[in-house]
Amino acid sequence: MNILTTRNKIIPPINFCPVEQKLYRSGQPSPLNFPFLSTLKLKCIVWLSNEDPEDSFLEFCEINNIIIQFAAINPDFGEDDNPWDGLNEKSIFSALETLLDKQNYPLLVCCGMGRHRTGTVIGCLRRLMNWNLASCSEEYRRFTGSRGGRILVELLIEGFNKDAVEIDETSIPDFILNTLNY
Amino acid sequence: MKMYIPPLNFGMVINSSNESKEIIYRSGFPQPLNYSYIKETLNLKTIIYFGKKKDITKEYQLFTEENGYNLIVFEMESVRDDNINKIMQDMFSLVFNKENYPILMHSNKGKHRIGVVTGLIRKIILGWSITGIYQEYSIYTGNVKGEMDLEFINNFDFSDIKIDLDLERLPSFINYV
Repeated sequence: MNILTTRNKIIPPINFCPVEQKLYRSGQPSPLNFPFLSTLKLKCIVWLSNEDPEDSFLEFCEINNIIIQFAAINPDFGEDDNPWDGLNEKSIFSALETLLDKQNYPLLVCCGMGRHRTGTVIGCLRRLMNWNLASCSEEYRRFTGSRGGRILVELLIEGFNKDAVEIDETSIPDFILNTLNY
Repeated sequence: MKMYIPPLNFGMVINSSNESKEIIYRSGFPQPLNYSYIKETLNLKTIIYFGKKKDITKEYQLFTEENGYNLIVFEMESVRDDNINKIMQDMFSLVFNKENYPILMHSNKGKHRIGVVTGLIRKIILGWSITGIYQEYSIYTGNVKGEMDLEFINNFDFSDIKIDLDLERLPSFINYV
């Protein structure tokens, strides 16, 4: 007899939620979540923490041919590279570049807990989709749990200059295109 | 400049990877300032409202008629309603028919009633663990506990309701065994 009988159940990662067609968000998936993750047929995962993910997770991606994009890991390892810092301009931009190419879908955006860093990128994506700021903040706060949202993250979303992002209408996913054409 | 305002607590329940039309959205009650977002970006076919028929405003009625949405109202207060199983049975019948997609389900605030409906879809159709369902429920309720709702989701038994399944019309994300 097994002590744990969760094998036939779907266990989504922490803070998992579908965002748009073929786009998902979550915290760091653990081995318990792998059977569920493989049903999503992911092509790409945007990893937003500046620490490496767990080995089991890397292994899972390798077996399933999922590309992990390390959007926030700074190759030169600057002194300001702390896990508790938010994302910077460069990391937001590089994550969005992946999100704006429909070849990378189905896609999962995740960080340690799926709260602040993931929320920043999704918030900026919503701004790009012409959502008004209050709706972006409301969505961000929904995922931050009982301690609430961080002002710095909301400032990043507010300060995000969507005109600085180049958009190639032939390669962006349909759900973004739909919001731009009116 | 164009600015979209999605309805309160707007989110996704189903975003099938195989079939682009098979989408279920969830939200609070759409207000006139949300209409342009719904109209221009969602391409809905069906709207299901869990609440009181008399709360449907004239302008909302007009908005759904003008855009050709099929507005279905389930008279529901909470999971304590006597006919709750019948409501859920009718809800499942709509979800099991791919002709109805894309669907928007909403209540007034998009928290408890929709949380229960989402939970049942996760449990019955997708086979999620109860823990995952509870977590999603509390994301949308802002950590407000709804013991009655969670108890209802936990105890709900699919064999209590009767649905005539039309296998031809089953959406592709449902694995019928």
